[in-house]
Amino acid sequence: MTRLLGSAHIETLAHEESVLGVLVRMVLKQAEHADSEEKMLLENALQLLLTRFQVMGGDDS
Amino acid sequence: MILRSIELESFGRFRGQTIEFRRGLNLVIGPNEAGKSTIACAVPAVLFGTDRLERFKPWGRNVCSAVLFFEGKGRTIQVKRNLITDEVELIEKDDLYHVLSQFTGKAPLRGRSASCREYLALLESLLGIADESLFRATYFFGHQPQEWSGEELAQKLRTLVSGSAETDYAEILDGLLNEHFQLTRRNPWGRDKQRDREYEEICQQLNEQGEAEPVETVPVFVEIDSSADIREQIEKLSIELEGDRQEYEKGLRYIEHVRLQVPETSENVVSTVVEGKPETLKISTDMDNLGEQLAAAGLPQNPPRELPELLSEAAQVRQEFAELQQPFSALNNREKKIPTVPWLTLGPIVVVLIAGMAVSWWQDFQFLWISVGAGICSSLCLGWGAWRQIERKKALAESRKERSHLEQKKLDAQKRQAGLSERCEAFGLPSSAVDLVRLQKLVTKHRELLEKFWNQAGSAVVETDACDNGNASEDEATEVGNASSDNDDAEKELLQLEALMTGFEAEFKRKELRLQNLRLQFNELSVDQDSRAKIPGTGLHNRKRELEERITVLRKAINLLAGAVDEFSHSHLARLNDEASKLFGKITGGRYAAIKLDENMAPSVQVDGRRWVPVDHFSRGTVDAIYMSLRIALAKVRDDGRSLPLMLDDPFVHLDQKRLATTLNLIDLASADGQLILFSHNLDLGKRAARERWHVVPLDEDTVDISPMEGEGHAGQLHLL
Repeated sequence: MTRLLGSAHIETLAHEESVLGVLVRMVLKQAEHADSEEKMLLENALQLLLTRFQVMGGDDS
Repeated sequence: MILRSIELESFGRFRGQTIEFRRGLNLVIGPNEAGKSTIACAVPAVLFGTDRLERFKPWGRNVCSAVLFFEGKGRTIQVKRNLITDEVELIEKDDLYHVLSQFTGKAPLRGRSASCREYLALLESLLGIADESLFRATYFFGHQPQEWSGEELAQKLRTLVSGSAETDYAEILDGLLNEHFQLTRRNPWGRDKQRDREYEEICQQLNEQGEAEPVETVPVFVEIDSSADIREQIEKLSIELEGDRQEYEKGLRYIEHVRLQVPETSENVVSTVVEGKPETLKISTDMDNLGEQLAAAGLPQNPPRELPELLSEAAQVRQEFAELQQPFSALNNREKKIPTVPWLTLGPIVVVLIAGMAVSWWQDFQFLWISVGAGICSSLCLGWGAWRQIERKKALAESRKERSHLEQKKLDAQKRQAGLSERCEAFGLPSSAVDLVRLQKLVTKHRELLEKFWNQAGSAVVETDACDNGNASEDEATEVGNASSDNDDAEKELLQLEALMTGFEAEFKRKELRLQNLRLQFNELSVDQDSRAKIPGTGLHNRKRELEERITVLRKAINLLAGAVDEFSHSHLARLNDEASKLFGKITGGRYAAIKLDENMAPSVQVDGRRWVPVDHFSRGTVDAIYMSLRIALAKVRDDGRSLPLMLDDPFVHLDQKRLATTLNLIDLASADGQLILFSHNLDLGKRAARERWHVVPLDEDTVDISPMEGEGHAGQLHLL
């Protein structure tokens, strides 16, 4: 259940020098010591935030 | 972004004059009253407007306007303002003079109209700043430089430093918080905890029904997720197995073919397996080249045929999300407008009427009439209240229905989004909207190249199949003739191939077994869910759990985003502190080692290597050095290609000779990466300008007299003096 956290896209985002980059790094760090339930929660929260970022970014980004 | 010129059509003492600037350090030199400060103030006055019109309006004339010309990478920006009417014209053009963006309208200082907001938003996106006080605190340094104090300015500075203006994170946070508040009144943020939301209402309904929670070992959302996961695994495995089956059959055919060839041309056959046909090789090389070209154009090296379809679907999903925002906010507004019943007013009225009735009975005065009147009035009040309450309930129910409909749409869009992300990832494509939009633009741009690649890929597949089916036996026969017949080696290779096939077969069977198990699991789970759905009250329990899960996810997302924004802004603040400390240390000759900005962006200085002393404990000269360091450091930290030039209006009046010399050196260095405009009356600076090849703008030729002393090489600058 950690498809998103292990994806190449997330790894790319984690290297960004932006709020999104910091956010992804925070999630990955928390996921290191999390159990499977907590990991699923982190993944869902990250998915939700990425969707919001996408909506905000729109075609301008 | 550099300021290329200022055209002062009718501004202060200037009439129709144009002052040009260059990249690097510019020195505007002239005696007092020559108009240096007027030019310096023209920049913020044109950009943001002014409330000191009398200072710039020429005496006896009814015109006061100026134009600023900015130049950046591949574009120019022109801002013209009539300071009397506050009419502004902003035009952004590219290198070919095509208009990229434009604004014409009124935009007074501190204006709140829609037109003003539109102008400031455009200014923000083009120049990275849309606030006069922030401009003065960061890009402007005069005799009394604006200090960094006050909560409002601190907030703006924090945003500017962290670059949070790029995306409005506050809006995302607000959106998440609003969604949370719509689901439950229990929140740790202290907002409106009185009114029950859907979660509390469901809990209440469950309590009223007196239903015990169905005993389940695994939460519903996990099961739903599991079943979706299993279904997905089944689909994936089926596709994989289909591919494997084809490969397996091909392999069998191929081994059979090799077996027939071994006695005669074993080596040749093996070499064909290893090297492939020349045509195939050529196609493969062509495809490699095309792949490299695609990669150079920023596209994936091996783009799938489904890419355009995926991208258009992604655009649709984005559009759906954007379209959903509007009805949600409209619904929230409508809900807020649903009138409540004024029970607090009606209650006392009824009490007063009853009290009147009691008094009339006590005093034995017109009791019958008063009681009838009071009764009618009370009934009317209560009836009206009840009617309003029913209307309110109806309106709320409608709104809830609409909300659940919207929620459903949103969930569908989210599912589509998740499916799309997974499909993208399966193709090795990025799934973020940013990347997909970029990809879409690239696909449109390089459509021909992609078509070529896909056509080539199609030919390669056909060619490979032809080879596998043994259709190229003629070529093989030629190679057979040329090859030496080492049958032992060929047999060894054949054995290896057979061993590989056995392994492949075992793996294939294992996958088939797994698929069968997964199908069984999926069926069991579906039956279980169906039976549970038939139990009364289970729907409410399910909804309750869904809400609980959503609330938990929302809280986590809110905390994560708030933490990330905080950390990001702290890291930028630390960088600004470091840069400013280095500059300040140099200006003060190492006397003070560090500057630190606190949460409110108020600076303090480290003294004796341990104590932090607030800035107001220092002399004017030191304070000037602090703010000079901060402004230069900020320009450096915020190097996003939109920074404006740093404008220094006679900034050295409070500095001693030693600090002046160091500051000048730092300014010279700082201007190397951008633009700095220095306004001064100091003639010595003019001499230095000649030596250092600064761009000099003399304002009064009679009073500026600098002898050419550095030889021919400086004639270009000195003729201006």
